[in-house]
Amino acid sequence: MQEPAVALDTGKHWRRLSPVAMLYFIASGLKTLVQNGLYAIPALAIGSQTSNITAASWFIPALWGIAVVMLGSAVLNYFFYHFRVRENHVEIRSGMFSRRHINLPFWRIQNVKVERPFYYRFTRFAVVILDTAGSAKEEANLVAVTHEYAQTLRTQILASRSEYLNQQQNPDAESQTNPDTSSTHTNEQIINTRSVKDLVIHGITNNRVWILLGALAPFFDEMASAVNGYLSQYGLQLEQLAGSQAIAWWQWGLYLTTVTLIIMTIMGLLSIGGALLTYYGYTLSKDKDRYIRRSGLLTQQEVSMRESRIQLVSIKQDWLDKLLKRANVFFEQNKSGQQRDQELMAANKLVVPSVTTAQADELAGHAFSHCTPSNQPYKRLPLFYMLHHALVRLLPLSILLMVLAYTLQQVLGVTLVVIGFVLAVVNLALRYWRWGHTTDSQYLYVRSGCIGIDYRTCPLHKVQQVKYLQSVMMRRRKVASVKVVLASGSLTIPFMAEADAKTLINTLLFETESTRRSWM
Amino acid sequence: MTNKGAIVTPIADDPSFSNAPVATESLPDIWSLETSPVSPRYRWLNLATVAGVFVLLLTLISIFRFQPWIAVPADMQAAYPRICLGLSVIAIVWFGYHVFADLCVRYALREQDIVLHKGLIFKSISCQPILRVQHIELKRGPLERLAGLARLQVYSAGGAGHTFEIPGLPVTRAQQLRQFILNHKELDAK
Repeated sequence: MQEPAVALDTGKHWRRLSPVAMLYFIASGLKTLVQNGLYAIPALAIGSQTSNITAASWFIPALWGIAVVMLGSAVLNYFFYHFRVRENHVEIRSGMFSRRHINLPFWRIQNVKVERPFYYRFTRFAVVILDTAGSAKEEANLVAVTHEYAQTLRTQILASRSEYLNQQQNPDAESQTNPDTSSTHTNEQIINTRSVKDLVIHGITNNRVWILLGALAPFFDEMASAVNGYLSQYGLQLEQLAGSQAIAWWQWGLYLTTVTLIIMTIMGLLSIGGALLTYYGYTLSKDKDRYIRRSGLLTQQEVSMRESRIQLVSIKQDWLDKLLKRANVFFEQNKSGQQRDQELMAANKLVVPSVTTAQADELAGHAFSHCTPSNQPYKRLPLFYMLHHALVRLLPLSILLMVLAYTLQQVLGVTLVVIGFVLAVVNLALRYWRWGHTTDSQYLYVRSGCIGIDYRTCPLHKVQQVKYLQSVMMRRRKVASVKVVLASGSLTIPFMAEADAKTLINTLLFETESTRRSWM
Repeated sequence: MTNKGAIVTPIADDPSFSNAPVATESLPDIWSLETSPVSPRYRWLNLATVAGVFVLLLTLISIFRFQPWIAVPADMQAAYPRICLGLSVIAIVWFGYHVFADLCVRYALREQDIVLHKGLIFKSISCQPILRVQHIELKRGPLERLAGLARLQVYSAGGAGHTFEIPGLPVTRAQQLRQFILNHKELDAK
């Protein structure tokens, strides 16, 4: 056994964090202030315009007051925060008014995230986020520990977790797992890295604008007025333009296209910026039984996920991805705590952005051995799927709308309804074309999409619950929908042939119940 | 099911593991299952609730219409019969739905899972393997307590939206079911 670089146990004495932690507390204070104050911003903006708050005598002192309160609470938070790690337990005491004492045994910790926010970038500190299966409230953060300590802690926690799980599964195998878990040295194997070029492609094909837009949201109003001011400098008045009769329609069209192009270019650039911000220096590596993703330009993120906890691998290609032959791969695990995060931040998904299609298959095969989603004999849905949706759901509605438009003598309305109907049918046909499902002896494969393609693959035995859905009409036509509930979310295959649906359900249940393998 | 070639088992050194192809006809079938209905009182309770809500609403509106203290605007007076009619139609449809739909709620217990049939026009058959159960709850609202009924809620890791619920069970039956699941050796304790 190699001696770990840093001692893990802190002994029975409570420890205080490094003073750097105050930075973290200030930052999180600011974050909550912005989050809670977001609603107040419009009011403040209007207030500042009408009543000149900024000129008021109390304005500057009030700002100082807020700053002092925040600083003070950061200091207090720091002094009231104690932690200790011993005998495979992490204990944290924190909070000033509402005291909180968390005691987390290592084996109950499902996931460990090591984060280095940008203000820690030039220190040797990191934040360790401990994720439990329970509610979001039970989550615990070790706010400022050295990076080496964080790594040792993470290795130890994940090791004792897998040891615990192994013991649960087969109690006799203890002797086998011990040498594995005691070696804390890592032999990480890099599986995938993303170059800047890949990330630029990712930025173009996936709209990552919201990463930046989210941060800019409070300033929209000012930006709009700045743009207006800039334009009026050059003699363009937007309000005048819109109402003016003097400009021909083609001029209008030209303006509109130019503006749209400019906006799209800016959006594209912003999106590339967002992609680089979150994924710069992306590496996906594997250390024994878990995957580790590291990325980030300013704030470096490290997420790890045990291989056995992956419930679903999905490969997503939208139409631009399809043109460039790229795909995003997601490893999805269970949704603990139920918080609905954006896909990038979501702790339950591990993203590999914009890989080539061959790499996507390789990654899927890596997580689930012998699985090749793009190369399966997919079975189509019955034609009834399309006919039913087109004739029973779309047609009556369209006819109703058409009659309505006709009686109101709206020729334009009638045309719009017809165009809408045709588009919807084309969309339906494309969807019908994409839908496919198949199983081999280990996995369920589902293909779906419209212009793009999604492949989703899950092991047969990781099913939590199955549902067979059939309306009276579907029963007559011998079709049924199947809903497969996984710990990472549910997966529905609509309008399967009834016999297929029944076989699928029986197979899923048989695989789950007869193998008795854990889903975690 | 197609079995594509030889597949290497992921746990190669586990002697108890095998992965022979399974003939689909030999799989246990959840469609050939004998199911039992929930308590008939479940339907009576639902029907009584519908009737009760309807009568309550109608009484409230009528009291408002005919009370002598506040002058009711003329258009509201005119709307009164139409409101009553609309309410009655909704109540009758709702009532009729429960008359038929509640008979469709049926459940079955197998060694390894629980099966629930539901739905009048849109039928659903759900199956919850006991192996995947995280925890169980018996729920009894005030009306259900009055009728001696209970709801059995079975939670899996699939999330709150996929809670498996058998409504309208007689209390003793619900307790028996809960005990059966708790005693099950495959219960997922993690």
